[in-house]
Amino acid sequence: MLNGIGASEGIGIGRVMIIKEQTLEYTPKEVTDIEAELARFRGSVDKFCDNTMAQADAIRQSTGEKEAEILLGHIAIIRDPFMGGEIENLIKANQCAESAVEQICKMFIDMFSATGDDLTMQRAADVKDIRDGLLSILLGVEEVKISDAPAGTVLVCRELTPSMTAGIKKENIVGIITETGSKTSHSAILARALEIPAVLSVPNAVAQLSSGEQVIVDGDNGEVITAPDQAQIDEYSAKREAFLRERRELENYRGKATASADGTEYELFCNIGTPKDAVKAVDADGEGVGLFRTEFLFMDRSSLPTEDEQFDAYKQASLILKGKPLIIRTLDIGGDKEIPYLGLEKEENPFMGFRAIRYCLKNRDMFKSQIKAILRASAFGDIRIMFPLITAVEELREGKALVEEAKADLKASGIDFDENIQVSLNAKIGDLFDFDINWNTQATFDFENKSVSHHASSGGVGQAIRCIKK
Amino acid sequence: MVSKKVTLVNAQGFHMRPASVFAQAMAKYTSSVTIKFNGNDYNAKSLLNIIAACIKCGSEIELVCDGPDENDALAEAVQMIESGLGE
Repeated sequence: MLNGIGASEGIGIGRVMIIKEQTLEYTPKEVTDIEAELARFRGSVDKFCDNTMAQADAIRQSTGEKEAEILLGHIAIIRDPFMGGEIENLIKANQCAESAVEQICKMFIDMFSATGDDLTMQRAADVKDIRDGLLSILLGVEEVKISDAPAGTVLVCRELTPSMTAGIKKENIVGIITETGSKTSHSAILARALEIPAVLSVPNAVAQLSSGEQVIVDGDNGEVITAPDQAQIDEYSAKREAFLRERRELENYRGKATASADGTEYELFCNIGTPKDAVKAVDADGEGVGLFRTEFLFMDRSSLPTEDEQFDAYKQASLILKGKPLIIRTLDIGGDKEIPYLGLEKEENPFMGFRAIRYCLKNRDMFKSQIKAILRASAFGDIRIMFPLITAVEELREGKALVEEAKADLKASGIDFDENIQVSLNAKIGDLFDFDINWNTQATFDFENKSVSHHASSGGVGQAIRCIKK
Repeated sequence: MVSKKVTLVNAQGFHMRPASVFAQAMAKYTSSVTIKFNGNDYNAKSLLNIIAACIKCGSEIELVCDGPDENDALAEAVQMIESGLGE
Protein backbone atom coordinates (compact mmCIF):
# COMPACT_ATOMS: atom_id res chain seq x y z
CA MET A 1 0.00 0.00 0.00
CA LEU A 2 1.19 3.53 -0.81
CA ASN A 3 0.22 6.45 1.37
CA GLY A 4 -0.50 10.01 0.37
CA ILE A 5 -3.01 12.77 0.97
CA GLY A 6 -6.66 12.12 0.20
CA ALA A 7 -7.49 15.23 -1.80
CA SER A 8 -10.66 14.29 -3.66
CA GLU A 9 -13.06 11.87 -2.02
CA GLY A 10 -14.37 8.59 -3.37
CA ILE A 11 -12.98 5.21 -4.37
CA GLY A 12 -11.55 4.39 -7.78
CA ILE A 13 -10.60 0.91 -8.97
CA GLY A 14 -8.75 0.72 -12.26
CA ARG A 15 -5.56 0.24 -14.21
CA VAL A 16 -2.58 2.56 -14.01
CA MET A 17 -1.58 4.85 -16.85
CA ILE A 18 1.74 6.57 -16.16
CA ILE A 19 2.13 10.07 -17.51
CA LYS A 20 5.90 10.53 -17.59
CA GLU A 21 7.61 13.84 -17.88
CA GLN A 22 9.23 13.99 -21.26
CA THR A 23 12.99 13.94 -21.37
CA LEU A 24 13.94 16.82 -23.57
CA GLU A 25 17.57 15.95 -24.13
CA TYR A 26 19.41 16.59 -27.37
CA THR A 27 22.94 17.00 -28.69
CA PRO A 28 23.50 20.55 -29.92
CA LYS A 29 24.78 20.55 -33.47
CA GLU A 30 25.96 23.11 -35.96
CA VAL A 31 23.53 23.67 -38.83
CA THR A 32 24.58 24.47 -42.37
CA ASP A 33 21.20 24.86 -44.08
CA ILE A 34 20.11 27.94 -42.15
CA GLU A 35 16.90 28.51 -44.15
CA ALA A 36 15.71 24.99 -43.42
CA GLU A 37 16.46 25.38 -39.72
CA LEU A 38 14.60 28.71 -39.58
CA ALA A 39 11.61 27.06 -41.25
CA ARG A 40 11.79 24.23 -38.70
CA PHE A 41 11.77 26.75 -35.83
CA ARG A 42 8.89 28.78 -37.32
CA GLY A 43 6.94 25.59 -37.93
CA SER A 44 7.38 24.57 -34.29
CA VAL A 45 6.08 27.97 -33.15
CA ASP A 46 2.99 27.63 -35.35
CA LYS A 47 2.33 24.14 -34.04
CA PHE A 48 2.89 25.30 -30.47
CA CYS A 49 0.32 28.09 -30.94
CA ASP A 50 -2.21 25.69 -32.52
CA ASN A 51 -1.79 23.22 -29.65
CA THR A 52 -2.07 25.98 -27.08
CA MET A 53 -5.23 27.39 -28.66
CA ALA A 54 -6.83 23.94 -28.63
CA GLN A 55 -5.82 23.41 -24.98
CA ALA A 56 -7.16 26.81 -24.03
CA ASP A 57 -10.51 26.01 -25.63
CA ALA A 58 -10.71 22.68 -23.84
CA ILE A 59 -9.78 24.14 -20.48
CA ARG A 60 -12.19 27.03 -20.85
CA GLN A 61 -15.00 24.44 -21.07
CA SER A 62 -13.76 22.16 -18.31
CA THR A 63 -12.25 24.55 -15.78
CA GLY A 64 -12.68 28.23 -16.50
CA GLU A 65 -11.72 31.40 -18.29
CA LYS A 66 -8.85 32.29 -15.96
CA GLU A 67 -6.97 29.03 -16.55
CA ALA A 68 -7.53 29.44 -20.30
CA GLU A 69 -6.07 32.95 -20.19
CA ILE A 70 -2.83 31.69 -18.67
CA LEU A 71 -2.37 29.47 -21.71
CA LEU A 72 -3.26 32.23 -24.16
CA GLY A 73 -0.54 34.37 -22.55
CA HIS A 74 1.94 31.75 -23.77
CA ILE A 75 1.04 32.62 -27.34
CA ALA A 76 1.66 36.32 -26.72
CA ILE A 77 5.09 35.49 -25.31
CA ILE A 78 6.24 33.17 -28.10
CA ARG A 79 4.97 35.61 -30.72
CA ASP A 80 7.08 38.35 -29.12
CA PRO A 81 9.16 39.79 -31.98
CA PHE A 82 12.21 40.31 -29.77
CA MET A 83 12.24 36.75 -28.48
CA GLY A 84 11.65 35.29 -31.93
CA GLY A 85 14.27 37.62 -33.42
CA GLU A 86 16.92 36.63 -30.89
CA ILE A 87 16.26 32.93 -31.44
CA GLU A 88 16.50 33.41 -35.22
CA ASN A 89 19.75 35.34 -34.81
CA LEU A 90 21.30 32.37 -33.04
CA ILE A 91 20.07 30.04 -35.78
CA LYS A 92 21.59 32.37 -38.37
CA ALA A 93 24.84 31.95 -36.43
CA ASN A 94 24.63 28.20 -37.24
CA GLN A 95 23.04 27.01 -34.00
CA CYS A 96 20.30 24.38 -34.12
CA ALA A 97 16.76 25.46 -33.26
CA GLU A 98 16.69 23.44 -30.00
CA SER A 99 19.79 25.11 -28.65
CA ALA A 100 18.67 28.59 -29.79
CA VAL A 101 15.28 28.19 -28.09
CA GLU A 102 16.86 26.92 -24.90
CA GLN A 103 19.42 29.74 -24.64
CA ILE A 104 17.00 32.58 -25.26
CA CYS A 105 14.38 31.13 -22.94
CA LYS A 106 17.05 30.69 -20.27
CA MET A 107 18.02 34.33 -20.69
CA PHE A 108 14.45 35.45 -19.94
CA ILE A 109 13.95 32.91 -17.15
CA ASP A 110 17.09 34.19 -15.42
CA MET A 111 16.13 37.81 -16.02
CA PHE A 112 12.61 37.35 -14.60
CA SER A 113 13.77 35.25 -11.66
CA ALA A 114 16.33 37.89 -10.71
CA THR A 115 13.71 40.63 -10.24
CA GLY A 116 12.46 39.19 -6.95
CA ASP A 117 8.99 40.43 -7.93
CA ASP A 118 6.24 37.79 -7.51
CA LEU A 119 4.30 38.60 -10.67
CA THR A 120 7.41 38.82 -12.82
CA MET A 121 8.73 35.55 -11.39
CA GLN A 122 5.49 33.83 -12.41
CA ARG A 123 6.33 34.82 -15.97
CA ALA A 124 9.55 32.82 -15.62
CA ALA A 125 7.38 29.72 -15.08
CA ASP A 126 5.47 30.59 -18.26
CA VAL A 127 8.70 30.83 -20.25
CA LYS A 128 9.75 27.39 -18.89
CA ASP A 129 6.45 25.89 -20.09
CA ILE A 130 6.96 27.45 -23.50
CA ARG A 131 10.52 26.17 -23.73
CA ASP A 132 9.40 22.62 -22.90
CA GLY A 133 6.53 22.86 -25.37
CA LEU A 134 8.75 24.05 -28.22
CA LEU A 135 11.49 21.52 -27.46
CA SER A 136 9.07 18.59 -27.41
CA ILE A 137 7.73 19.65 -30.81
CA LEU A 138 11.24 20.11 -32.23
CA LEU A 139 12.41 16.78 -30.82
CA GLY A 140 9.25 15.00 -31.89
CA VAL A 141 8.55 13.80 -28.36
CA GLU A 142 4.95 12.67 -28.44
CA GLU A 143 2.98 13.51 -25.38
CA VAL A 144 0.98 10.65 -23.92
CA LYS A 145 -2.55 11.43 -24.93
CA ILE A 146 -4.65 11.53 -21.80
CA SER A 147 -7.72 11.95 -23.96
CA ASP A 148 -7.05 8.45 -25.40
CA ALA A 149 -7.05 6.80 -21.95
CA PRO A 150 -9.45 3.85 -21.93
CA ALA A 151 -12.34 3.51 -19.48
CA GLY A 152 -11.21 2.53 -15.98
CA THR A 153 -7.89 4.41 -16.07
CA VAL A 154 -6.05 5.62 -12.97
CA LEU A 155 -3.76 8.50 -13.99
CA VAL A 156 -0.35 8.54 -12.29
CA CYS A 157 1.90 11.57 -12.74
CA ARG A 158 4.27 13.81 -10.87
CA GLU A 159 1.90 16.75 -10.97
CA LEU A 160 -1.48 17.34 -12.57
CA THR A 161 -1.14 20.41 -14.80
CA PRO A 162 -3.91 22.48 -16.38
CA SER A 163 -2.93 21.27 -19.84
CA MET A 164 -3.29 17.66 -18.65
CA THR A 165 -6.73 18.29 -17.18
CA ALA A 166 -7.84 19.68 -20.49
CA GLY A 167 -7.51 16.15 -21.93
CA ILE A 168 -9.29 14.27 -19.14
CA LYS A 169 -12.51 12.51 -20.09
CA LYS A 170 -14.43 12.24 -16.83
CA GLU A 171 -16.16 9.01 -17.78
CA ASN A 172 -12.85 7.22 -18.42
CA ILE A 173 -10.68 8.35 -15.52
CA VAL A 174 -11.54 6.64 -12.23
CA GLY A 175 -8.68 7.91 -10.10
CA ILE A 176 -5.68 10.26 -9.93
CA ILE A 177 -2.37 9.70 -8.13
CA THR A 178 0.34 12.39 -8.04
CA GLU A 179 3.72 12.78 -6.36
CA THR A 180 3.23 16.39 -5.32
CA GLY A 181 0.42 18.57 -4.05
CA SER A 182 -1.74 19.08 -0.97
CA LYS A 183 -5.46 19.35 -0.27
CA THR A 184 -5.42 22.93 -1.53
CA SER A 185 -3.04 22.59 -4.48
CA HIS A 186 -4.03 23.13 -8.06
CA SER A 187 -4.11 19.36 -8.68
CA ALA A 188 -6.52 18.84 -5.77
CA ILE A 189 -8.87 21.60 -6.86
CA LEU A 190 -8.97 20.25 -10.40
CA ALA A 191 -9.59 16.66 -9.20
CA ARG A 192 -12.45 17.75 -6.96
CA ALA A 193 -13.96 19.89 -9.71
CA LEU A 194 -13.95 16.78 -11.92
CA GLU A 195 -15.26 14.61 -9.02
CA ILE A 196 -12.47 12.09 -9.54
CA PRO A 197 -11.03 10.36 -6.42
CA ALA A 198 -7.44 11.48 -5.90
CA VAL A 199 -4.48 10.68 -3.66
CA LEU A 200 -1.70 13.27 -3.85
CA SER A 201 1.85 13.48 -2.52
CA VAL A 202 2.57 9.77 -2.91
CA PRO A 203 6.38 9.59 -2.88
CA ASN A 204 7.87 8.11 -6.07
CA ALA A 205 4.46 7.03 -7.37
CA VAL A 206 5.65 7.16 -10.97
CA ALA A 207 8.62 4.87 -10.26
CA GLN A 208 6.72 2.52 -7.95
CA LEU A 209 3.73 1.89 -10.19
CA SER A 210 3.73 0.58 -13.72
CA SER A 211 1.29 1.11 -16.54
CA GLY A 212 -1.44 -1.52 -16.72
CA GLU A 213 -1.29 -2.72 -13.10
CA GLN A 214 -4.48 -2.73 -11.12
CA VAL A 215 -4.79 -0.38 -8.13
CA ILE A 216 -7.43 0.93 -5.77
CA VAL A 217 -7.42 4.68 -5.12
CA ASP A 218 -8.96 5.56 -1.77
CA GLY A 219 -9.45 9.32 -1.90
CA ASP A 220 -11.07 9.37 1.55
CA ASN A 221 -8.11 7.92 3.45
CA GLY A 222 -5.31 8.93 1.09
CA GLU A 223 -4.31 5.35 0.32
CA VAL A 224 -3.37 3.49 -2.85
CA ILE A 225 -3.77 -0.29 -2.62
CA THR A 226 -1.45 -2.06 -5.04
CA ALA A 227 -2.00 -5.60 -6.36
CA PRO A 228 -5.36 -5.90 -4.59
CA ASP A 229 -6.74 -9.41 -3.98
CA GLN A 230 -10.34 -10.35 -4.73
CA ALA A 231 -11.44 -9.73 -1.14
CA GLN A 232 -10.05 -6.19 -1.25
CA ILE A 233 -11.63 -5.51 -4.62
CA ASP A 234 -14.99 -6.69 -3.26
CA GLU A 235 -14.60 -4.62 -0.11
CA TYR A 236 -13.71 -1.44 -1.98
CA SER A 237 -16.32 -2.00 -4.68
CA ALA A 238 -18.91 -2.07 -1.91
CA LYS A 239 -17.44 1.12 -0.41
CA ARG A 240 -17.51 2.75 -3.81
CA GLU A 241 -21.15 1.79 -4.33
CA ALA A 242 -22.04 3.15 -0.90
CA PHE A 243 -20.25 6.43 -1.64
CA LEU A 244 -21.98 6.88 -4.98
CA ARG A 245 -25.34 5.92 -3.48
CA GLU A 246 -24.88 8.50 -0.72
CA ARG A 247 -23.94 11.14 -3.26
CA ARG A 248 -27.06 10.32 -5.29
CA GLU A 249 -29.26 10.34 -2.19
CA LEU A 250 -27.92 13.72 -1.13
CA GLU A 251 -29.18 15.03 -4.45
CA ASN A 252 -32.72 14.45 -3.15
CA TYR A 253 -32.25 17.22 -0.60
CA ARG A 254 -31.74 19.82 -3.27
CA GLY A 255 -34.65 22.23 -3.20
CA LYS A 256 -35.96 20.90 0.15
CA ALA A 257 -36.33 23.06 3.26
CA THR A 258 -33.38 22.99 5.66
CA ALA A 259 -34.96 21.46 8.74
CA SER A 260 -34.03 18.90 11.37
CA ALA A 261 -36.18 15.81 12.01
CA ASP A 262 -38.25 17.65 14.60
CA GLY A 263 -39.08 20.34 12.09
CA THR A 264 -36.82 23.10 13.40
CA GLU A 265 -35.79 25.19 10.43
CA TYR A 266 -32.24 26.37 9.87
CA GLU A 267 -30.57 28.62 7.37
CA LEU A 268 -28.00 26.92 5.15
CA PHE A 269 -25.37 29.45 4.13
CA CYS A 270 -22.18 28.94 2.15
CA ASN A 271 -18.77 30.61 2.39
CA ILE A 272 -17.34 32.08 -0.78
CA GLY A 273 -14.06 33.68 -1.85
CA THR A 274 -14.91 35.15 -5.25
CA PRO A 275 -18.15 36.39 -6.85
CA LYS A 276 -18.12 33.36 -9.17
CA ASP A 277 -18.30 31.03 -6.16
CA ALA A 278 -21.80 32.40 -5.56
CA VAL A 279 -22.91 30.43 -8.62
CA LYS A 280 -21.84 27.21 -6.89
CA ALA A 281 -23.57 28.29 -3.67
CA VAL A 282 -26.84 28.81 -5.56
CA ASP A 283 -26.43 25.56 -7.53
CA ALA A 284 -25.84 23.68 -4.30
CA ASP A 285 -29.13 25.07 -2.98
CA GLY A 286 -27.47 27.43 -0.49
CA GLU A 287 -29.90 29.88 1.03
CA GLY A 288 -27.37 32.66 1.16
CA VAL A 289 -23.73 33.46 1.74
CA GLY A 290 -22.67 33.60 5.38
CA LEU A 291 -19.14 34.73 4.67
CA PHE A 292 -17.73 36.41 1.58
CA ARG A 293 -13.98 36.60 2.17
CA THR A 294 -12.85 39.75 0.44
CA GLU A 295 -9.12 39.04 0.70
CA PHE A 296 -9.02 37.67 -2.87
CA LEU A 297 -9.65 41.19 -4.18
CA PHE A 298 -6.44 42.34 -2.53
CA MET A 299 -4.17 39.39 -3.27
CA ASP A 300 -2.04 38.55 -6.30
CA ARG A 301 -1.69 42.15 -7.36
CA SER A 302 0.66 45.03 -6.78
CA SER A 303 -1.64 47.76 -5.47
CA LEU A 304 -4.98 48.29 -3.73
CA PRO A 305 -8.19 47.55 -5.63
CA THR A 306 -10.25 50.67 -6.33
CA GLU A 307 -13.67 51.29 -4.82
CA ASP A 308 -15.25 50.67 -8.25
CA GLU A 309 -13.46 47.35 -8.67
CA GLN A 310 -14.70 46.22 -5.28
CA PHE A 311 -18.20 47.51 -5.95
CA ASP A 312 -18.31 45.48 -9.19
CA ALA A 313 -17.29 42.29 -7.37
CA TYR A 314 -19.81 42.71 -4.52
CA LYS A 315 -22.58 43.68 -6.91
CA GLN A 316 -21.84 40.70 -9.14
CA ALA A 317 -22.08 38.27 -6.19
CA SER A 318 -25.27 39.92 -5.03
CA LEU A 319 -26.91 39.71 -8.46
CA ILE A 320 -26.02 36.01 -8.69
CA LEU A 321 -27.68 35.41 -5.31
CA LYS A 322 -30.87 37.13 -6.49
CA GLY A 323 -31.97 38.61 -3.17
CA LYS A 324 -30.56 35.86 -0.92
CA PRO A 325 -28.50 37.26 1.97
CA LEU A 326 -24.83 38.04 1.30
CA ILE A 327 -22.67 38.71 4.36
CA ILE A 328 -19.46 40.46 3.29
CA ARG A 329 -16.55 40.32 5.71
CA THR A 330 -14.33 43.37 5.48
CA LEU A 331 -10.64 42.82 4.81
CA ASP A 332 -9.16 40.26 7.20
CA ILE A 333 -5.53 40.63 6.48
CA GLY A 334 -2.40 40.22 8.56
CA GLY A 335 1.18 39.08 8.59
CA ASP A 336 0.16 35.54 7.62
CA LYS A 337 -1.09 36.54 4.17
CA GLU A 338 1.50 37.80 1.75
CA ILE A 339 0.39 41.09 0.28
CA PRO A 340 3.63 42.88 -0.47
CA TYR A 341 2.19 46.31 -1.30
CA LEU A 342 0.49 46.64 2.11
CA GLY A 343 3.92 46.62 3.74
CA LEU A 344 2.86 44.45 6.71
CA GLU A 345 5.66 43.04 8.77
CA LYS A 346 5.89 39.33 9.46
CA GLU A 347 4.91 38.61 13.04
CA GLU A 348 5.64 35.85 15.48
CA ASN A 349 1.96 35.03 15.89
CA PRO A 350 0.29 36.71 12.94
CA PHE A 351 -3.13 35.40 13.94
CA MET A 352 -3.34 37.62 16.97
CA GLY A 353 -1.32 40.64 15.97
CA PHE A 354 -1.79 43.68 13.84
CA ARG A 355 -4.43 42.51 11.41
CA ALA A 356 -8.03 42.57 10.29
CA ILE A 357 -10.05 45.36 11.89
CA ARG A 358 -6.99 46.80 13.66
CA TYR A 359 -5.11 47.10 10.40
CA CYS A 360 -8.16 48.55 8.65
CA LEU A 361 -8.83 51.14 11.33
CA LYS A 362 -5.23 52.33 10.98
CA ASN A 363 -5.75 52.61 7.22
CA ARG A 364 -9.03 54.46 7.19
CA ASP A 365 -9.01 55.53 3.53
CA MET A 366 -8.61 51.95 2.38
CA PHE A 367 -11.22 50.72 4.87
CA LYS A 368 -13.71 53.44 3.97
CA SER A 369 -13.43 52.71 0.25
CA GLN A 370 -14.27 49.07 0.99
CA ILE A 371 -17.26 50.05 3.14
CA LYS A 372 -18.49 52.45 0.46
CA ALA A 373 -18.17 49.76 -2.19
CA ILE A 374 -20.22 47.37 0.00
CA LEU A 375 -22.85 50.05 0.68
CA ARG A 376 -23.18 50.86 -3.01
CA ALA A 377 -23.62 47.17 -3.81
CA SER A 378 -26.31 46.92 -1.11
CA ALA A 379 -28.69 48.67 -3.53
CA PHE A 380 -28.67 45.44 -5.56
CA GLY A 381 -29.57 42.80 -2.98
CA ASP A 382 -29.64 41.77 0.68
CA ILE A 383 -26.09 42.68 1.67
CA ARG A 384 -24.76 42.74 5.23
CA ILE A 385 -21.38 43.75 6.62
CA MET A 386 -19.26 41.67 9.00
CA PHE A 387 -16.21 43.07 10.81
CA PRO A 388 -13.47 40.52 11.38
CA LEU A 389 -11.75 39.75 14.67
CA ILE A 390 -13.17 42.38 16.97
CA THR A 391 -11.39 42.28 20.33
CA ALA A 392 -12.58 45.46 22.00
CA VAL A 393 -15.66 47.60 22.05
CA GLU A 394 -13.71 50.63 20.76
CA GLU A 395 -12.94 48.81 17.53
CA LEU A 396 -16.60 48.13 16.99
CA ARG A 397 -17.56 51.73 17.72
CA GLU A 398 -14.93 53.04 15.35
CA GLY A 399 -16.03 50.65 12.63
CA LYS A 400 -19.66 51.62 13.06
CA ALA A 401 -18.73 55.30 12.96
CA LEU A 402 -16.91 54.73 9.70
CA VAL A 403 -20.00 53.04 8.21
CA GLU A 404 -22.04 56.11 9.15
CA GLU A 405 -19.42 58.39 7.60
CA ALA A 406 -19.49 56.37 4.39
CA LYS A 407 -23.29 56.54 4.35
CA ALA A 408 -23.17 60.34 4.70
CA ASP A 409 -20.66 60.58 1.83
CA LEU A 410 -22.85 58.49 -0.44
CA LYS A 411 -25.95 60.46 0.49
CA ALA A 412 -24.15 63.69 -0.35
CA SER A 413 -23.32 62.27 -3.78
CA GLY A 414 -26.88 61.02 -4.29
CA ILE A 415 -25.84 57.36 -4.56
CA ASP A 416 -28.35 54.63 -3.62
CA PHE A 417 -27.65 52.12 -0.85
CA ASP A 418 -29.47 50.14 1.82
CA GLU A 419 -29.90 52.61 4.68
CA ASN A 420 -30.62 49.81 7.18
CA ILE A 421 -27.67 47.61 6.23
CA GLN A 422 -27.00 45.04 8.95
CA VAL A 423 -23.57 45.04 10.57
CA SER A 424 -22.30 42.03 12.49
CA LEU A 425 -18.96 41.04 13.88
CA ASN A 426 -16.62 38.15 14.30
CA ALA A 427 -14.75 38.07 17.57
CA LYS A 428 -11.94 36.01 18.92
CA ILE A 429 -10.66 35.27 22.40
CA GLY A 430 -7.12 34.00 22.39
CA ASP A 431 -6.83 31.44 19.64
CA LEU A 432 -9.35 29.29 21.45
CA PHE A 433 -12.67 30.28 20.08
CA ASP A 434 -14.24 32.32 17.40
CA PHE A 435 -17.77 33.54 17.35
CA ASP A 436 -19.92 35.41 14.96
CA ILE A 437 -22.35 37.81 16.50
CA ASN A 438 -25.32 39.15 14.75
CA TRP A 439 -26.49 42.65 15.54
CA ASN A 440 -29.68 41.68 17.26
CA THR A 441 -29.41 37.98 17.92
CA GLN A 442 -27.34 35.65 20.01
CA ALA A 443 -23.71 34.78 19.67
CA THR A 444 -22.69 31.53 18.02
CA PHE A 445 -19.67 30.01 19.67
CA ASP A 446 -17.25 28.03 17.68
CA PHE A 447 -14.76 26.30 19.95
CA GLU A 448 -11.58 24.98 18.58
CA ASN A 449 -10.56 21.53 19.67
CA LYS A 450 -8.23 22.76 22.39
CA SER A 451 -8.60 23.02 26.12
CA VAL A 452 -9.91 26.38 27.24
CA SER A 453 -7.19 28.43 28.84
CA HIS A 454 -7.78 30.22 32.11
CA HIS A 455 -5.90 33.16 30.74
CA ALA A 456 -8.45 33.92 28.08
CA SER A 457 -9.96 37.19 29.09
CA SER A 458 -13.44 37.77 27.83
CA GLY A 459 -13.62 41.32 29.12
CA GLY A 460 -13.18 43.15 25.85
CA VAL A 461 -15.41 40.93 23.84
CA GLY A 462 -18.03 40.58 26.53
CA GLN A 463 -18.31 44.32 26.62
CA ALA A 464 -18.63 44.40 22.85
CA ILE A 465 -21.43 41.85 22.97
CA ARG A 466 -23.27 43.82 25.62
CA CYS A 467 -22.85 46.89 23.49
CA ILE A 468 -24.50 45.16 20.54
CA LYS A 469 -27.40 43.85 22.58
CA LYS A 470 -28.32 47.32 23.71
CA MET B 1 15.10 61.35 -32.12
CA VAL B 2 12.32 62.49 -29.80
CA SER B 3 11.69 61.65 -26.16
CA LYS B 4 9.36 62.34 -23.26
CA LYS B 5 9.14 61.42 -19.58
CA VAL B 6 5.89 59.91 -18.35
CA THR B 7 4.63 58.34 -15.14
CA LEU B 8 2.95 54.94 -15.13
CA VAL B 9 -0.57 55.29 -13.68
CA ASN B 10 -2.22 51.89 -14.13
CA ALA B 11 -2.46 49.99 -10.85
CA GLN B 12 -0.84 46.75 -11.98
CA GLY B 13 2.21 48.38 -13.49
CA PHE B 14 3.66 47.01 -16.71
CA HIS B 15 2.46 43.43 -16.45
CA MET B 16 1.34 40.79 -18.88
CA ARG B 17 -1.76 42.40 -20.32
CA PRO B 18 -0.71 46.08 -20.43
CA ALA B 19 2.77 45.14 -21.66
CA SER B 20 1.28 42.99 -24.39
CA VAL B 21 -1.13 45.72 -25.56
CA PHE B 22 1.65 48.31 -25.53
CA ALA B 23 4.22 46.19 -27.37
CA GLN B 24 1.69 45.34 -30.07
CA ALA B 25 0.80 49.00 -30.57
CA MET B 26 4.47 49.98 -30.87
CA ALA B 27 5.28 47.14 -33.28
CA LYS B 28 3.49 48.91 -36.13
CA TYR B 29 5.99 51.80 -36.19
CA THR B 30 9.18 51.76 -38.25
CA SER B 31 10.96 53.84 -35.63
CA SER B 32 12.64 52.19 -32.69
CA VAL B 33 10.82 52.68 -29.39
CA THR B 34 12.88 52.46 -26.22
CA ILE B 35 11.88 52.66 -22.57
CA LYS B 36 14.58 54.12 -20.34
CA PHE B 37 14.10 53.04 -16.75
CA ASN B 38 16.50 52.71 -13.81
CA GLY B 39 19.46 53.37 -16.06
CA ASN B 40 18.59 50.59 -18.52
CA ASP B 41 17.16 50.58 -22.04
CA TYR B 42 14.26 48.26 -22.88
CA ASN B 43 12.89 47.54 -26.33
CA ALA B 44 9.24 48.68 -26.12
CA LYS B 45 8.21 46.48 -29.05
CA SER B 46 8.98 43.41 -26.95
CA LEU B 47 6.51 42.22 -24.36
CA LEU B 48 9.24 40.22 -22.64
CA ASN B 49 11.63 43.18 -22.45
CA ILE B 50 8.93 45.32 -20.89
CA ILE B 51 8.06 42.64 -18.33
CA ALA B 52 11.73 42.18 -17.47
CA ALA B 53 11.95 45.91 -16.68
CA CYS B 54 9.50 45.30 -13.79
CA ILE B 55 8.03 48.82 -13.89
CA LYS B 56 5.52 49.51 -11.12
CA CYS B 57 2.69 51.99 -10.81
CA GLY B 58 3.97 55.48 -10.04
CA SER B 59 7.37 54.96 -11.69
CA GLU B 60 8.69 57.57 -14.08
CA ILE B 61 10.01 56.28 -17.38
CA GLU B 62 11.48 57.99 -20.42
CA LEU B 63 10.18 57.06 -23.87
CA VAL B 64 12.61 57.50 -26.75
CA CYS B 65 11.54 57.09 -30.39
CA ASP B 66 13.94 57.25 -33.30
CA GLY B 67 13.04 56.92 -36.99
CA PRO B 68 10.86 58.29 -39.79
CA ASP B 69 7.57 58.06 -37.81
CA GLU B 70 9.07 58.94 -34.43
CA ASN B 71 6.59 61.74 -33.63
CA ASP B 72 3.53 59.53 -34.18
CA ALA B 73 5.09 56.70 -32.23
CA LEU B 74 5.89 58.93 -29.27
CA ALA B 75 2.46 60.54 -29.30
CA GLU B 76 0.69 57.19 -29.17
CA ALA B 77 3.06 55.76 -26.56
CA VAL B 78 2.54 58.75 -24.25
CA GLN B 79 -1.21 58.71 -24.76
CA MET B 80 -1.42 54.98 -23.95
CA ILE B 81 0.60 55.23 -20.77
CA GLU B 82 -1.12 58.37 -19.52
CA SER B 83 -4.55 56.82 -20.06
CA GLY B 84 -3.58 53.81 -17.92
CA LEU B 85 -2.97 51.27 -20.71
CA GLY B 86 -6.62 50.34 -20.99
CA GLU B 87 -6.94 49.25 -17.36
